[in-house]
Amino acid sequence: MVAQLADAAALDTDTSTDTASRRARLPISLKVGAAIVLALLIASALAQVIAPYPFDEMHIADRFSPPSLQYLAGTDEYGCDVFSRVLIGSQLSLLLGVSATLISLGLGVPLGLLAGYRRGLVDEVIMRVLDILLAFPPVMLVLLILAVTQPGLIKTAFAIGLLSAPPIGRVTRGVTLDLMSGEFIEAARARGERLGYMLWRELLPNVWPVLMVEASLRVVFAILLGAVLSFLGFGVQPPSADWGLMISAGRDYVDEAPWISLAPGIAMSITVIGISLLGDGLREVLDPRLSGRR
Amino acid sequence: MNAEVEIPPPLLDVRDLTVRYGHEDRSAAVRQVSFHLQPGEALGIVGESGSGKSSIAGAILDFLGPAARISGEIRFGGRDLLKLPRKQHRAVLGHKIGSVFQDPFSALNPALRIGRQIAEPLIRHLGMPPADAARRTVDLLREMGIHRAEDVARAYPHQLSGGMKQRALIAAAVACEPPLLILDEPTTALDVTVEAQILRLLGRLQQQKRVSLLFISHNLGVVRRLCDRVAVMYASQFVELGTMRGVLEHPAHPYSKGLLASRPPLQAMPRGNRMPSIQGQMPIAPRPEEGCVFAPRCPFAEPRCAEQPQSMQAAMQGNLARCWKADVAGEWPRQAAEVLDHEAFRAGDALVNVTHLRKTFSVSGRLAALLRRRHDHAAVDDVSLSISPGEVLGLVGESGCGKSTLGRLTLRLLEQSAGSVEFDGADVSLVAGADLAEFRKQAQIVFQNVGSSLNPRLSVGEALERPLVLFGLAKPRERRRRVEELLEMVRLPLSYRLRYPHQLSGGERQRVAIGRALATEPRFIVCDEPVSALDVSVQAAIVNLLADLRDQFGLAYLFISHDLAVVAQLSDRIAVMYRGRICETGTPAGLLAGPRHPYTRMLLAAVEDTTIDEAPADEAGATALNGCAFAARCPCRLPDICDTTPPSLRAVGTSHEVACHNLQ
Repeated sequence: MVAQLADAAALDTDTSTDTASRRARLPISLKVGAAIVLALLIASALAQVIAPYPFDEMHIADRFSPPSLQYLAGTDEYGCDVFSRVLIGSQLSLLLGVSATLISLGLGVPLGLLAGYRRGLVDEVIMRVLDILLAFPPVMLVLLILAVTQPGLIKTAFAIGLLSAPPIGRVTRGVTLDLMSGEFIEAARARGERLGYMLWRELLPNVWPVLMVEASLRVVFAILLGAVLSFLGFGVQPPSADWGLMISAGRDYVDEAPWISLAPGIAMSITVIGISLLGDGLREVLDPRLSGRR
Repeated sequence: MNAEVEIPPPLLDVRDLTVRYGHEDRSAAVRQVSFHLQPGEALGIVGESGSGKSSIAGAILDFLGPAARISGEIRFGGRDLLKLPRKQHRAVLGHKIGSVFQDPFSALNPALRIGRQIAEPLIRHLGMPPADAARRTVDLLREMGIHRAEDVARAYPHQLSGGMKQRALIAAAVACEPPLLILDEPTTALDVTVEAQILRLLGRLQQQKRVSLLFISHNLGVVRRLCDRVAVMYASQFVELGTMRGVLEHPAHPYSKGLLASRPPLQAMPRGNRMPSIQGQMPIAPRPEEGCVFAPRCPFAEPRCAEQPQSMQAAMQGNLARCWKADVAGEWPRQAAEVLDHEAFRAGDALVNVTHLRKTFSVSGRLAALLRRRHDHAAVDDVSLSISPGEVLGLVGESGCGKSTLGRLTLRLLEQSAGSVEFDGADVSLVAGADLAEFRKQAQIVFQNVGSSLNPRLSVGEALERPLVLFGLAKPRERRRRVEELLEMVRLPLSYRLRYPHQLSGGERQRVAIGRALATEPRFIVCDEPVSALDVSVQAAIVNLLADLRDQFGLAYLFISHDLAVVAQLSDRIAVMYRGRICETGTPAGLLAGPRHPYTRMLLAAVEDTTIDEAPADEAGATALNGCAFAARCPCRLPDICDTTPPSLRAVGTSHEVACHNLQ
């Protein structure tokens, strides 16, 4: 109560939200996260150019070379350059993370919007179906899907996307429920707007900010789960350069040549930390003030 | 607080109080405010939202948080509170200064019993043993005019009405017998009849206990009833300070004049008239060091007003006013209707015809439904009324009486449980397809909550354009011109087309919402409390706009409000609603001059501040299942019939109907 009053009083006076002062107050996590993610995207897009060697070129004479100027992150058991493989592998990881997240958004957002808008039986059915998906242990469910068919990137992305759909749907529904008390929704109903317009034009633009935050967490989840699957041998197949696969392959030589597993591990950590920071920063910017001030 | 001194020093002496939030370059929320308060005196601070009045209370009560930078002096009982260590400051606050805030619904901890929350300061600050504190709590509640004090002390907050909670909060505030009570909008969230009771209670406390009151409100009419002196605040400064009578009768500052003039009087306004209003809006970042901050809205302003900073100076009538023209400025100008060829509405075929309408909501939860214990609550109960083309029907009632539900039923935003709504001769619940679209086009709605009535992600232009697209009302090339026409109609600058809702003030948002409703070229608009969330100075301008549009396009309104005075300004007929039923209808003039239903009389008395006997509203039980809904609160209820038979509307004169058994 007291804090609210002080807050309201503060808001009363500072409506001069010029973009300059707003930018000055951007959280540090957002800046750092955005910088890391941007660097990753550039590195990954230009991987073929930056990489000193083709990822599958074997240098039999230089097997198990430790990191040196010639091989920045050393070589693996076939004499392939680990640094080049990690770079190329970032493409796979990011592609998997983003495509899985897009699939989960494509599934979860419409269902969440519909459930929150329609309420009643529709809500009940949609949410229970999503609950059933949630009830499976994540790795189990994906393994189930992948075990019965041939492994492949698209299928992995789809399986992970399906797994991420329930949380996305829940978040979307929650925000939608909140929005439904807004009188602009009632004004739209008083005009006799159709379902599609209500969901896409009135509701979705207001759900986006919160979804951005959730989506960034889903990308991290997808990258990690993708690595787990590759590690278990259900994801991308050798000789592709995939981080999970590389860690798995390097496992046997971890005493003599730890860099084989370590390099992709570090790359994955940086990716995960970068995207998480970006998500946290977005949450700080988008959640408290903007939603309260609309 | 030295009793031996003959002229007591002021209890509270505030000097040059300035409050800033955030960065140095931000303009101040409170600027060089000085006032003092004698023991037993009541000072009112009146201002619209954002004027900085709550920040004054916040500075005294130390809850502005670290973002606020406070300078000046706040002397309380001779000590400067701002110089005290925080711990001592807090101790003074808990013990010597009581406070009551606007929202009784969130001020109490929902998990603790009422009695415990009132006893808390007694135990903490006075060191009372818990058993004594509990006894004292019951006494306190009784002093607050609560009859079943023991029961209330044992109750949880959700079991009490808003008025009861506010009484309990006042009890907690005065528990330690503080010499000063700070009230920040204490009645704003309450219904008028309850508001009147709370104000009487506060007046009694002030007299019996010699408590000083610092009463902060946006409502001059409420402050008037309790305070000896009043300060008018505008854009972070006091602009006028004087005795209550002096300011009410001879306001010196133009803003005070405007505020007083734009309060709706409790009388009918003829169709050709308009309310006096203050143009424009309060500046967001005022710069009083550069010139008069009110000048852009002031009808008496001259070019030099904006160049010359204003200081408080004594005006002729004895008030202090921050205006160098205070003595020469005349009356606040009246406003003429913009559309002159208004005509009285044509009584005849009803445009909207509501017959025996009923809407029930199930009170019980799912479990109770399983156990077949559900009982339904009728939000709208057997209501019949009609609205002619071009007519304005005012609908008045307290919160929860079903007036908004009735409005939504007429637009088919809710499904009725029984009865029918006809629009232009067709049953609204049966139309479908193209006819339904046509009905949606012809009947529109304007809402109360200016914060949520516009989609935050759509620009003003997009919001106004959507109805044109939806109903195919303008060719793509003409849309922009039509949007500009709409902006003109609601008197907004054309550049606002590109703005987003968060860049607009409350009054401007309401204008956009009205424009959006007008875009479909409707014949009927439900106005659901369209001005309740707005400041007085903006309220009048919106009422005038609605009146202009009514005359220009021959619109019919269902104008819903809790404020009888506002409704009277615009309506051709008024219907008074109580617990789902219409209890009286009549013309504004007839209803205000000769109210026949006891509830209407009570509403009027509450606004006019005349006492009327009644059973306390808060303690009235649930509606009697049969009989008159108002019986529990009625001062003139008849022994048998009122409890057994619901009264039906009877004509008591030309266009005046009352639903009451006891019409003397």
